[in-house]
Amino acid sequence: MLIVDQLIVRRDRLSFQYHQQIQEGEIVAIQGVSGIGKSTLLEAIAGFAQITSGDIRWLGKSFVDLIPEQRPVSMLFQDNNLFEHLSIKQNLRFIDTEVAWSEVEKHALTLGVGEQLTKQPNALSGGQRQRVALLRTLLRPEPLILLDEPFSELDPATRATAASWSRQMAQQRNKTLMAVTHHNEDVEQLADRVIRLE
Amino acid sequence: MPNSVKPGSENGGKARPNKFMRLGQVLGWCSLAFMSGTTLLAFFGLLNFSGQGFDFGFLQDPYLWQIIEFTFIQAIFSAGLSLLFAWPVALALLHKRDSWHKRIFLSFCILCFVMPTLIVITGLVALLGHQGLVGRWMWEGWNLYGLTGILIAHVYLNFPFAVRCIYLQLQAIPASRWKLARQLKLSRWQRFRYLEWPSAQLVSWLATGFILVLCFNSFAVVLALGGGPQATTLEVAIYQALKYDFNIPEALILAWLQLILAGSLYLLVTTLGQLQWLGNLSQERKPLPSSGKFERLLYNLFYGIAWCVMVAPLIALLPKIFSQPLTENFWQAIVTPTMTSLVLAALATTIALGLAYLVLQPYRIARRLGTTTYIWIDGLASHALVIPAMVLSVGIFVFFIRKIDLDIYGMVFVCIINALVSVPFALSQLKGPLLNYDQSYRHLLSTLKLSRWQRFTVEWQFMKPAIRSATAFVAVLTLGDVAIYSIFGHQDFVTLPWLIYSYASTYRMTEAAMAAILLLIICSTVVAFLEYQRRPRSKKVC
Repeated sequence: MLIVDQLIVRRDRLSFQYHQQIQEGEIVAIQGVSGIGKSTLLEAIAGFAQITSGDIRWLGKSFVDLIPEQRPVSMLFQDNNLFEHLSIKQNLRFIDTEVAWSEVEKHALTLGVGEQLTKQPNALSGGQRQRVALLRTLLRPEPLILLDEPFSELDPATRATAASWSRQMAQQRNKTLMAVTHHNEDVEQLADRVIRLE
Repeated sequence: MPNSVKPGSENGGKARPNKFMRLGQVLGWCSLAFMSGTTLLAFFGLLNFSGQGFDFGFLQDPYLWQIIEFTFIQAIFSAGLSLLFAWPVALALLHKRDSWHKRIFLSFCILCFVMPTLIVITGLVALLGHQGLVGRWMWEGWNLYGLTGILIAHVYLNFPFAVRCIYLQLQAIPASRWKLARQLKLSRWQRFRYLEWPSAQLVSWLATGFILVLCFNSFAVVLALGGGPQATTLEVAIYQALKYDFNIPEALILAWLQLILAGSLYLLVTTLGQLQWLGNLSQERKPLPSSGKFERLLYNLFYGIAWCVMVAPLIALLPKIFSQPLTENFWQAIVTPTMTSLVLAALATTIALGLAYLVLQPYRIARRLGTTTYIWIDGLASHALVIPAMVLSVGIFVFFIRKIDLDIYGMVFVCIINALVSVPFALSQLKGPLLNYDQSYRHLLSTLKLSRWQRFTVEWQFMKPAIRSATAFVAVLTLGDVAIYSIFGHQDFVTLPWLIYSYASTYRMTEAAMAAILLLIICSTVVAFLEYQRRPRSKKVC
């Protein structure tokens, strides 16, 4: 279980308070009005926000004092998810050595980016880049997956494909997934439960 | 609410450097210590020479005041004239469509600015000397040597730099302002007054100040085209006191004066702002108001004249090399200096880039942690800009003269000092991309949990163009060094610029021209490589 215990996070002179519990293998969507602190919650769990007090525990172990590199977290940011100077293939090589390349190619085809692997990121559209980053985030070995507006640049059809693929992957690989989204369709296709921040 | 920040939080611990970063940090501080230590040795050398102390009586010498006066006059005129010629050319470039010759012209501006001065000097002598292509047709009493020649050479070397600085600012004027100017039907003068001048005003003064500092520190030009009490600068006087008269107390006084004056000038200029002259040129077509016939004619005239001025001294080298056959001895004599220059440039560039990259490790960590330490690191790493290479060389020369056989180890010092004075230039090329890299990928690198080797390869691939660009920039600066070599150089290891100087000063113009062309080819190749590295990459499609 992931426990966010009385966590207070400071960002730009604002303080956000969180207290949540998420079951192992659960998929939750995080919703709330802009500025309420949805992305800040993900960044705090990933280790990129300034925590004033509180704790974050995964399977009973606190990781609030760990640096991001040591946390059991794989995160998709709103931007800067791909190294622009490396090819898509090179970017995807950072998944995990245990995942066979043929499997990566198969999933890339499912997400409609199978033809883009030899290209540079700047030759891809925003939606294609987002799907490549999504692919890498979900195939990484960490058990906790954090997605910050993962489908924001996708059209409705691709959005549905990406959401159902994400759900399938999370279930198959026993991931605990938290996704920030403004769209109710994403919630329906992806999540088991919604957390509304107020 | 508790005020303390958890140790693992962003500012409290997550941004803490890991072991690998700490090693880089330590090596970076060691590099800074090495650079600062060398400067301190130079100061120690400048303060005292075997207890001989300073010859303060020299400060009363009218010869000294004549030198200072000339140093200022030539620098002020050189800077003023460079700016005066640069503005019309920059305006002409702004109003000319993008074309292959315009792009070559702008690359050529870089070449002219970084070109070893002895190529220009040889070219100017071949063009405007008594027997030169144009010089022989000049009026009675025309003399290239003295203030005239120094000003011509300085303007040639520096006005292309001013052109690039001003043009970069002019092309950055937003399209919306040009649209507004057209809609308001502004006259040519009004466009200059309200659009062009305000956008490039600051950069004009900065470029003038920077050129003034460069000309104040000019050595090779004044050594070759000046001379005598009427046309000697502080740098040349230091060299003469040290190498001809072996009057170390006098050299020390001159070096201190040069340091105080040139350093103050540099600090004054840098407080006004920073110059952008190597920035990428936009190829976006702006909705500029259409020019009238006369205006277009003027632009073409300025553009054409600028081309002629920049090409003429280099073209003038060609007839010189065919004026008489070159002996086999010449070809044998040129091989070793060429190799010496190349090896020297390669070593100094490697050291300069290594030091710069290491210094950037504590710098980037300080930026990441949000501490002000980065300001100190930046200042320490760039301190060589305030200290003229000649002053640094003299200090170290005096410090080591009784301790080390400088005839044997002189070239080691040439290499190290060239590297040290080049570090700020390498830093200027590497700092921006590295900070950009950290800013863009810091979180991604953490979340991907890359190994040290993976982190290194990803960063290396990102930084490769900037490293290549810095390599080319530093290499071409080092290839042209004359000042440092003049203090530590040895006849067994003559460099190509010094060989050119030796030929030119003994009126062997055919050999000087040929050696200058060879150096020009080497430098042009390096600059072409620099431009290739800086070219805009493919654009995003969507």
